[in-house]
Formats: sequence, structure tokens, C-alpha cells
Amino acid sequence: MIKIKNLSKSYGEKKALDNLSLEIQEGSIFGLLGVNGAGKTTLLSILNGIITQDSGTIEFFGLDAKKDIKKVKSLSSIIPQHLAFYEELSVKENLDFFAKVQNAKQEHYDKAIEVNSLEKILSQKASTLSGGQKRRLNIAIGLLNNPKVIYFDEPTVGIDPKSRNEILDSIKEYKNFGITVVYTSHYMNEIEKICDEVAIISQGKLIEQDRVENLITNRSSESISIEVIYSDNLESLGLNVINETTIQTKESELFATLELCKKHNISIKQINYGSTNLEKYFLKITGDCDV
Amino acid sequence: MFKAMIKKEFLLVFRDRHALLALFVMPAIFILIMSVAMRDQFTSDSIVFTLYVHDTDKSKMSKDILANIQADKKFHLIKDKHSAQFIVKIPKRYEKKPNAKVRIDVRDSIKSDQIEVFKAMLLEHILNARLESMARNIEDKSPKAAKTLSNLEISVDSIYKVRYNSSIHIPNSTQQSVPAWIVFGMFFIIIPMSTIYVNERKQNTLARLNSMNVPVLAMSISKSIPYLVINQLQVLIMLGVGMYIVPLFDTPALVINGSLLALGAVSIALSIAAVGISSLIAVSAKSSEQATTIGGILNILLGAIGGVMVPKFIMPPVMQKLAEISPMSWGLDGFLDIFLKSANFSMVLNNVLMLISFGIICLMLSILILRIKINKGL
Repeated sequence: MIKIKNLSKSYGEKKALDNLSLEIQEGSIFGLLGVNGAGKTTLLSILNGIITQDSGTIEFFGLDAKKDIKKVKSLSSIIPQHLAFYEELSVKENLDFFAKVQNAKQEHYDKAIEVNSLEKILSQKASTLSGGQKRRLNIAIGLLNNPKVIYFDEPTVGIDPKSRNEILDSIKEYKNFGITVVYTSHYMNEIEKICDEVAIISQGKLIEQDRVENLITNRSSESISIEVIYSDNLESLGLNVINETTIQTKESELFATLELCKKHNISIKQINYGSTNLEKYFLKITGDCDV
Repeated sequence: MFKAMIKKEFLLVFRDRHALLALFVMPAIFILIMSVAMRDQFTSDSIVFTLYVHDTDKSKMSKDILANIQADKKFHLIKDKHSAQFIVKIPKRYEKKPNAKVRIDVRDSIKSDQIEVFKAMLLEHILNARLESMARNIEDKSPKAAKTLSNLEISVDSIYKVRYNSSIHIPNSTQQSVPAWIVFGMFFIIIPMSTIYVNERKQNTLARLNSMNVPVLAMSISKSIPYLVINQLQVLIMLGVGMYIVPLFDTPALVINGSLLALGAVSIALSIAAVGISSLIAVSAKSSEQATTIGGILNILLGAIGGVMVPKFIMPPVMQKLAEISPMSWGLDGFLDIFLKSANFSMVLNNVLMLISFGIICLMLSILILRIKINKGL
């Protein structure tokens, strides 16, 4: 288990993480959800020992992540958001290099190639790969040290749906290998699809942590979202505006809200009872649409 | 781990065609061009003046002058006056009128000191022909005096005995160009080194390596070793160009008089300095454009100050003093000592130590900066 307690990190005046505490269960796929600048990448970088926290503690499977940083690094792996390999080298040369600097075992090397379906493109120069193939190589490099935990920092940005699904399927497979996955993404349907548990962070603080199914069923069932045709007076009417075309209300206040809309000629497109997906729940609790 | 990192660095550099051009082809071409172009500026041994002689006298003496010129390898007598550097007109009745003047028309833009050399050389031939003429005139009256006159051979070397200061060694164009452009080329590793460094930072591969427990020291040292090897290859190739290619263009070949140990020591020390400053610029720069611009300008400035572009011995004393601040000058002096003064290891030790110290200080600073940047998440 990874236990994060009161973690804080600032860049100058800006607080990237503010007294953040959460727990990640062993063998789970854990989603980290937050808008740009919420602190997701900072958290992953601290968890993987790339940068150090200002205060707070991380217990990594019984190890103190600050004191035993080398051990923690050897047991974990980060798949960075940006492709972190050498474009001028072939797929095999990249894998060989990253395997040798970590003294990776042959079986883990072979597994990384197999899981990411890289067999046929081993001799290809990395710069000539498609977006999806590059992402798979990026992930394969992270598997070479047979990590106990893998941190995925938005690994599906900018790739086609087919490759995205392949990557998501492969990530689900890691669970079968006993690997704990920490996954951040802009795409909440991905988190909904693969994660067991999710933590929502905003401005470096933990807003909510629960199992995905709990978040999208139990807690959000009483909320109602109303999609309207754009109108510039929504906020001035005192409505709970989620974004420029969505209003959030409770069941008990539904009729009053509809009356108000009618009175001010606000056309209604759709009414959704309960949040049917994570995205709507996320919008509700963060009140932010810049995801 | 270390072996893999060095191998990776070699692969990256040797796949960068632009870097290879800058590191190997550019200095080789410079050596060739500068050695040939500057040939006559460094030595008078190979000077050949092209001249046309208009003999209006047609006397025995004027024919002797022509014969003397023709026999002199430093003169190239041609029949087309338009192609000549100098047109020499021997006036009518020149043999009969000792006060008559030979007219010289200078056709090309020739430096004044070379015109003086031409005049002195031509004077030798005119005087010798005049002596012959005088000998002929007095042969009947005083055969002994005529014989003495006829045997007189006037030349600059027969009049002066010049003694050179043994501590002054002026290089020929090859001896100047080869070490100068070797030094310049070695410092050009800044281009590929900074490009690869910045790309690794941009692509997060350095951060990834850091997350894989690769120490910053290992990252820096593994990057330095391939460039040390590349620098030594550059030295070997450039020496080869000086020794075997330059002579094909009628220019003196490079001769290594000093000890090979001294040559190797200067070469490795220069490389440490070049790698050090290149690393420092590469880790400090925010982009490869910034690194190549700063690196390029610094290279040219250090080269200009250090005697690469303009030889130090023709600089005014103030500039010669200023040259001493450039590590390129320390390396260049080391090479010149080996090529010209047959220097051994102890004679170049001072330069070697200065270069190594400079390189290590730069390298340590670059490691410190890289460590800070990585800890800050780059």
C-alpha cells in the first residue's frame, strides 16, 4: 500500500500540492483526476522520486519514500506524459539501452515487448513510428524493471481511438501481473473504464477519494444537470452554473429552476437525472470545466 | 550501465550528419584551404613572381638579364604581358647608358614588401649582367680585372650573413593551419553535445533516467567519454590531412618534430577543456538554438583571441597578451611547440595542466547545474 500523508510542494509562491493525503491499495488501478495544474504530475513526480516534497511523508509498501528513495525508484516506474525515449534510435536500441541501465532481466524485457506488441517494429527507428506505437514503446520502457507500481501520466494523449483502447486493455492486464497502477488522464471515461478507485484533486488538495462505482452512483444520484441553449444571464439569476450551457440543481429544486428558466426565456435542451458518468460528477464537485 | 550509456551516446552522435560535418569535414576543409591560401604569407620559399620582360635594348647585356631571369625558379617569365604580375621594360641602349633606369609596372595588387623582394631579386640579375658587360668591355685592356669581375657573383646571401634568434620559430602555413583548425574543430563538439543534452531534457529522457536511479555524475561522464574519443579522431584525421593531403596542393607538409607523448597529452588536455566548456553551455542553455548560438559565438571569439584565425606572432603585443586568456591559445601553443620546437612532454606540461584544470572546473560546474535542474524537475 502507498500511504501519502500531508504532502506539500510549492514552486515559488504557487502551491502545487497542499497538505494532500491519500492511500493507494496494492494491486489496484488508481485514478488521479484533476484539471490542468491541479497537481497530478507533481504528485507522480514526487511518488517516483524525480522531485522531492517540501513536507509530508510517503510510505511505499512499508518503505519511507524519502529515505529509501533508491529502493522506491527501483520498485516503481513512471510513464511520462511526453514521450521519453530517443527518436534517433530504433525500438530495440531504446529498449536495450533502458534495460541495461536498470539491469533488467531478459524475461521482463521479453514481457515488455510482448505486452505492448512491439515484436514487429523492433528494428524501426523510433522517429518513424505512429503515435500509438510511440506510446506503446514509451510504456514498454516503463515495464522493463518489472515494477511493483507504475505511474501513468496521461498516456493516451494525442492518439487514435484504436491505439487508445489497446493501451487501456494492456494496462488492465498489469493488474493480473500484480502491478499497482496509478493513472492520470484527461479522459474521464478512461478512468471510469479501467480504474478501481479514484482520487479527485483540485489546487493541490484532495477533494474526494472513493471507488469509481460509488462516486458515479451513490453520491451523485440526487443531482440533476440541465443542459440549456447558451444564455449570458445564467449566473446573474443565481443558478448553479457548471459551464456556459449546463446548470446543476437538486431534485427538490428542479421545478423552481425550470420555472426560472422559462421566465427568462432560457431554452432547455436536456435534463439528466443523477450523474450518469464520472465526468458529470467531476464537474459537479470541482465546478470546473477545464479538464 | 556505463557501457550502455556510452554506446547510446556514440549512436546518437554518429547518426547526426550535421554534427559529423561540423566535427570532421569543416576543419579538414579549413586546414586545406587556409594552408594553401596562406602559403605565401608565411614563407618566401615558394614565392614565384610572374613577369613579362619588354627588351627594347636587345643588347648582349639585356639578353644576359633575360637569361638570368629565366634560370631563376622564383621567376616565371611569360610571353603574354596581360597575365603578368610585373612588366619589366629594359630601355633602349641600356647597356651603353649606366644611368638609364629599368621600368617596372606592377600589374596586380601585390603587397609592398613583396614588391621590395621582387626588386631585390631582379637587382641581383641586373647587377650580374652589368658586371659581365663591364668585364667584356675591359677584357682587352685588363684581362685579369675582367676575369675577376666576371667571377663575381652578386646575391643577397653573398652580401649578408643573417643570424636568427633560436627562440623565434615562425610556422609555415601548414604548421599554423593544422593545429589552429584542429583546436577550433575540437571545440565544435559544443554543437552536437548541446543538441543532444537539450533534446534529452525536452524529451524527459534525463528525468526518466533519474527515475531509474542513474546518477547525474554517470550521466555527465558517460556523455563526456564519447566526445573525448571523437576529439582524438579529429586530431588524427586533421594531422593526416596536414601530412598527406595538403602537400598534394604544392604546399609544405606537416612535420611532427616533437614527442608523440607530448602531442597526445596536449590533444587529450584540449579535449577535456572542450568537453568541459561544451557541457557547461549545454546544461545551462534552455534550448538547442540558444546553446548553438552561444557556443558558436564563444567558439569564434575564443578562436579569434586565441590565434586560430590570425596567427599570434603577427598580432600586436597587447593582443598577444590578451590571447593568453583563451584556452584555445593554450592548446595551440602546445601544438606549435611540438611542431616547431620539437617539444617534449615537460615543455608542454604547463599548457596541459591549464587545459585540464579549466576543463575539470567547467565539468564540475555543469554537473552541479544539471543536478540542480534535475532536482527541480528540469
